[in-house]
Amino acid sequence: MSLAIRPYYPDYSTVPTQHHFNPYADNGGSIVAIAGNDFVIIGADTRLSAGFSIYTREQNKLFSLSGTTVLGCSGCWCDTLTLTRILKSRMQMYQQEHNKVMSTEACAQMLSTMLYYKRFFPYYISNVLVGLDNEGKGCVYSYDPIGHCEKATYRAGGSAGALLQPLLDNQIGQKNMLNVKPESVTKERALSIIKDVFISAAERDIYTGDSISINIITKDGITQETFELRKD
Amino acid sequence: MSILAYNGGAMVAMKGENCVSIAADRRFGIQAQTVATNFEKIFEMGPQLYVGLPGLATDTQTVMEKLRFRKNLYELKENRSISPKVFSAMVSHMLYEKRFGPFFVEPVIAGLDPKTYEPFICNMDLIGCINQPKDFVVGGTASAQLYGMCEALWEPNLGPDDLFEITSQALINAFDRDAMSGWGATVYIIEKDKVTIRNLKTRMD
Amino acid sequence: MFLTRSEYDRGVNTFSPEGRLFQVEYAIEAIKLGSTAIGISTSEGVVLAVEKRITSPLMEPTTIEKIVEVDKHIGCAFSGLMADSRTMIDRARVECQNHWFVYNENMSVESCAQAVSNLAIQFGDSDDDGAAMSRPFGVAILFAGIDEKGPQLYHMDPSGTFVQFDAKAIGSGSEGAQQSLQEVYHRSMTLEEATTAALTILKQVMEEKLNSSNVEVMTMTPKNLFHMFTKEQVEEALTNVFPAEHPTPIKVNKQKV
Repeated sequence: MSLAIRPYYPDYSTVPTQHHFNPYADNGGSIVAIAGNDFVIIGADTRLSAGFSIYTREQNKLFSLSGTTVLGCSGCWCDTLTLTRILKSRMQMYQQEHNKVMSTEACAQMLSTMLYYKRFFPYYISNVLVGLDNEGKGCVYSYDPIGHCEKATYRAGGSAGALLQPLLDNQIGQKNMLNVKPESVTKERALSIIKDVFISAAERDIYTGDSISINIITKDGITQETFELRKD
Repeated sequence: MSILAYNGGAMVAMKGENCVSIAADRRFGIQAQTVATNFEKIFEMGPQLYVGLPGLATDTQTVMEKLRFRKNLYELKENRSISPKVFSAMVSHMLYEKRFGPFFVEPVIAGLDPKTYEPFICNMDLIGCINQPKDFVVGGTASAQLYGMCEALWEPNLGPDDLFEITSQALINAFDRDAMSGWGATVYIIEKDKVTIRNLKTRMD
Repeated sequence: MFLTRSEYDRGVNTFSPEGRLFQVEYAIEAIKLGSTAIGISTSEGVVLAVEKRITSPLMEPTTIEKIVEVDKHIGCAFSGLMADSRTMIDRARVECQNHWFVYNENMSVESCAQAVSNLAIQFGDSDDDGAAMSRPFGVAILFAGIDEKGPQLYHMDPSGTFVQFDAKAIGSGSEGAQQSLQEVYHRSMTLEEATTAALTILKQVMEEKLNSSNVEVMTMTPKNLFHMFTKEQVEEALTNVFPAEHPTPIKVNKQKV
């Protein structure tokens, strides 16, 4: 039998033509969150893309779930839309069933179980949930697509997560710094670090850019801010 | 998994004011298993010329030997030191010779021109495509992390001391977030009149 | 007496022309045959005390369980058909664990009562829509728990209606006991006073003489949460409340004088 590769003629093919449906899309985007003693800041870029094309330059990826809780999503945008709609209705159902607003911790656990319930057909999203806990302290929870949850004080996620996380380790976690006393980050510093790291990410990650939307959560509520990034 | 990520490793080179730096981690592993923590990936190719070869460890050493051979031959024939620019062209050419059965290394080259002392850095892919930017180059399994660090920390006209600090911080914080690299670091600061080699202690996990 | 109602007695979900559901009302009547249970909520915690009917001297009293733990922070006391109560405890426990699993927080006492209430009204005749039960439950429940609102006591009857109480009695002696509770209850009651009151009232309405095997006592405090009294602790409580009838056992001195 000859092992030579024969040219492929579709009309004379003897094997069935196979088509594949890929249920996921990678629409990119990055999330950065930093928590302090009495605040938490979360930022997400506003570029929505697929491959080498940009769908929009002004897509908000931050979803406020309650007065003290915000979720940042990046990854498969259609999954994000579905997940955030279900989350919104679950928040409302909880409010009506238990006569109280869901706490950030409860929300974090619920998101984990919701993601795990789709263990074998996951929501392809990199989630970062931020909020104030019952003592008013800022907290950050990050997830993998199947519901593993980690509580932290800072986190970078999404397409530029790998680029940004070591920078946050250094600048906020004070990793590999000698003779520094551990101190919690101020709101002003957190805000400027978020802007700086996104500028860096936009240089190297084609899925991150255009601008960032920032939510600052304090006991007085959520304030929003935007910051322009390079658009190429 | 790519064969380039079989042994792991992180590498970075940066330009400064009349100086350049090149630094790498010291891990040698087989996939997730660490085998040695004193593995050299940066090699001297002249008084002020260094090449780093992150990638498949066996090719790191083979390519290093082949490059040393070709460099020595050049210097004997020409009776002068090889310049970083010529050396890079030589590396690129050698890698492209194996276009369809390549060496699995992504070289990083840093040095000063032997005559003008002009800082030079470049890196290339495994088949020799040269990239020669004005600021920094990275390579290895922690390259995404290194891009993020370098992009934020690097600035123009760094002196040798600042260049050392920034190169070290960029490398260490980057490979701390990469399971395939770390376990100590070596940093070379190349200046007109001296080369400073420092071995850094880092977290070993 | 009930002859006139017979037409509307068959279907459990059939209203009488006066707008009543007889089977549900009968179920509520069934509670009044059950043993008495008393619950008192104070600012320090909640106490539950129940009577256990020892119908035979050959019976093992510890196998009658009228107070149960639902979660560390919620306990229940029952009166009525005890078999029915098992189904409701199961539901309450499952709901509490599910709430913890999904939200990583303790379920509130009210939500727990609501969850059991949802089960209590799932009776019906038809089996096509998957109705679980053919008749209403024959039990009344006292929920004693602590959540973010503090110590709380809820009462639920077979109709599924649940109401918060400062103090509540259920079972055969409930009418008299409720009257007495109203007289003794005040807002600044301590938990010890509440325990004393519960036992005193239980003594008044019980036919048998109180002893450590025919009463169960449980306290729910922010520090210890669900705490079931051991036989010795019940003994001690009874000695403190009724020193005349339950004298402290005299220590026998074996030393020669």
